[in-house]
Amino acid sequence: MSTIARALLVVFQKPAYILVAVLVAAITFAMAVWMPNLGLVAQVIADPSATFAQKISLPIALLSSISTNFSALSALYTVLIPILFGVNGAMMIYYLKRRIKAAKGNMMAAGFAGMASGIFGIGCAACGSFLLTSILSSFGAAGAIFLLPLRGGEFGIFGVLLLGLSTFLVAKQIQNPAVCSS
Amino acid sequence: MEPSQTQTSLLAHPLAIPIAIVIAGAIIGGALLIALRQPGSSAAVAAQQPQGAQQPSGDLEAMSPITEGDHIRGDPNAPVKIVEYSDTECPFCKTFHATLQKVTQEYGDDVAWVYRHLPLDQLHSKARKEAVALECAADQGGPSSPLGTSNDAFWKYADRWFELTPSNDKTDIETTLPQIAKEIGLDGSAFATCLKSGKFDAHIEDNVQNAQATGGNGTPWSIIVAPNGKKYPLSGAQPYEAVKQLIELALQEK
Repeated sequence: MSTIARALLVVFQKPAYILVAVLVAAITFAMAVWMPNLGLVAQVIADPSATFAQKISLPIALLSSISTNFSALSALYTVLIPILFGVNGAMMIYYLKRRIKAAKGNMMAAGFAGMASGIFGIGCAACGSFLLTSILSSFGAAGAIFLLPLRGGEFGIFGVLLLGLSTFLVAKQIQNPAVCSS
Repeated sequence: MEPSQTQTSLLAHPLAIPIAIVIAGAIIGGALLIALRQPGSSAAVAAQQPQGAQQPSGDLEAMSPITEGDHIRGDPNAPVKIVEYSDTECPFCKTFHATLQKVTQEYGDDVAWVYRHLPLDQLHSKARKEAVALECAADQGGPSSPLGTSNDAFWKYADRWFELTPSNDKTDIETTLPQIAKEIGLDGSAFATCLKSGKFDAHIEDNVQNAQATGGNGTPWSIIVAPNGKKYPLSGAQPYEAVKQLIELALQEK
């Protein structure tokens, strides 16, 4: 059995970690899909004339835009990144709880860089990266995105790879017994 | 207690992360350098984002009033109006066109669909000429035209365009634009003359500027207007159910 599979079994034997992973993944996915319409969601939730059912049903209906408002590639990494994000987060918590003293700088950096890159890469359909586009827009260079072959989708793929790498590294650390060197 | 050898060696692996980040930085930096050297890579160009790229930051109240000069499907006096800013080469606009066709069929006189142009030039180089073609189709309609009103001609052309073409600049417009014109019964030579005339360039640019003023940075960008004038922004090709929820909400605002 691979290192990752063994580590996943160890961590997700405990239902609390499954809950953490599912919650983190669900929240991340929802935020990614709602991102272009967060203003609308906020407007409807704050609208006194909207019923409670309407305040709930609109955000839920917007989630289906994963099938109408995303290309196949962007839909793929918009689903993958939250899943990896959730798994990575739960594994990181497990690791830190067990071996807080061993969690040195590099180890922490691996996990957080993976998560940060996930946020960086996740986002809208056509341009591939909501956050990146916003950053570039702030100094008038969002057009740079269009020069990339996948119109910024590269950053989504990069986010998936980095989170995958981070998960692999955490899994390896989890599988390492706390052995004293001779 | 010391970490095991395996663990120690692993501590070197995270170097892959900073290296990867440096590569990402290099890609962004390189793209930036190229973009900043290109003419037209200004803030105005930056505003032409593909759909869903950014949170809308404009003022919905800046939306130009709906007039007889607009292309309106349905009853112009309908209580709810959906003003859509669209790009003929955007695949999400193609999807959303079908969604709004369904909306107007389902809601009848309760909802009117207003079509405005937002060609994303940097992403779709053919879209602006196609926007002109839609206006040229409308131009040939009129009270005495066998095509019906100007509005009828516009929608016949627009529907056929979105039905026939694959989006993302994959259409040969030199053959397809006149082909659709012929199919729906337009005068081919008048259509060709109109395409070259430039008479609708300012109108299309007005639509683009207005879309951006309302916060439309990508397509499809829509504003749902309630009977009391309240406006709801909708970015992207949202599913029918979401549009329906918004229409129901707007219908309550009397």
